[in-house]
Amino acid sequence: MTAKRRALLLVGSPKGPESTSESLGDYLLDQLSKGGLETQKIRIFPSINSDDGREKLLSAINTSDILILSHPLYIDSLPTPVIKTMELVAKHRKSTAELREQKLLAISNNGFPEAYQNETALAISRRFAFESKIKWAGGLALGGGESIDGRPLRELGVMARNVKKSLDLTAAALLEGKPVPKEAVDLMAKPFLPVWLYTWVAGSRWKRRAKEHGVQKRLHDRPYQR
Amino acid sequence: MKALVLDGSVERDDTLNVIREAFVNKLESIGWNVHVVILRDTKISDCLGELGCFARTPGICIIDDDGRDIAMKMVQSNLMVLLTPVTFGGYSSELKKALDRLVSNVSPFFRKIDGEVHHKPRYERYPRLIAVGVLRDPDEESERIFKTLVDRNAINFYSPAHAAGVILRTQGSREMREKIEALLIQAGLGK
Repeated sequence: MTAKRRALLLVGSPKGPESTSESLGDYLLDQLSKGGLETQKIRIFPSINSDDGREKLLSAINTSDILILSHPLYIDSLPTPVIKTMELVAKHRKSTAELREQKLLAISNNGFPEAYQNETALAISRRFAFESKIKWAGGLALGGGESIDGRPLRELGVMARNVKKSLDLTAAALLEGKPVPKEAVDLMAKPFLPVWLYTWVAGSRWKRRAKEHGVQKRLHDRPYQR
Repeated sequence: MKALVLDGSVERDDTLNVIREAFVNKLESIGWNVHVVILRDTKISDCLGELGCFARTPGICIIDDDGRDIAMKMVQSNLMVLLTPVTFGGYSSELKKALDRLVSNVSPFFRKIDGEVHHKPRYERYPRLIAVGVLRDPDEESERIFKTLVDRNAINFYSPAHAAGVILRTQGSREMREKIEALLIQAGLGK
């Protein structure tokens, strides 16, 4: 009897359960579970910041066949806890003689409307996979992640149809041992809204949040101006 | 003129030490006031992504640690120098922990730059940007990713000029100094 293949979702957002990264990863993990894979989810933050958390994180990574890294874009790259994890994994794998055959899929989402602004982050993940001798399964880029705002994709109806279809195609490819198809990449990159509408909605949201904190007149403050 | 030098080495790193000292010596020799931060010796918590710096305490990170001080020094400098081992083509976690916290220095609102959407600037002026990555061996892909990352950061940080370069650990100190001179010129400083 052969052991079930294991897929591990690594949530790279410090916002954890309230994050778009986790929403995207959860949906994909569900599809892989339905396809017969054993699945597990770990939130990189705060795991990476404690000895016990790092040990569990590394152990889960070492015993998985498919790694799914879902993260937000921070300053054109990956959030610090994700980079720390990559440094840890790469160091471990360089000092390990027999490496498990693994694949990495990365999903990067950002708050700008353009999905392609995730490209540098995906290039870094691809490079990490190469240096760690992990097979690169592909990368998905989502723009306008604020539109999902951490809600489960199944609750979003037609608005998230392209995202869900992209992840369905990705799951099917991973289950067959294939790389992420171009159609999945293209569907994930489709914008939710026209750029002008997205930027208007985003601006309105910040004004509303600032009002809740009583700072609506201070949104343009320059506290460090010389 | 003020320069902020952020050293992102993850452990003692003789190559980055040489590069950092060369930057400091060069800038001080032309009258700059240079502030160096060895990031691994600082206390900077991870950015939580809540963006309280946009809508709770505008312009100030809600986490009160060394990350705030670096965000202030960035805005008040004329030049920011980033030093890092090239890490999968990007920055080390030590450098990135400081950069993630700089989001407080831009506005929550958007504008278009060359057809793509970015945050509006919060301040009237920002520092020039120079980034130096250190590689053990020549690696075209890592170098390309690194330079692209710095180009992207320069857009989002509203750097009036920027330069990025990679130095190999095998290069001698004279080559390193020449590279640094070239980067300063590329960033609009020096001859």
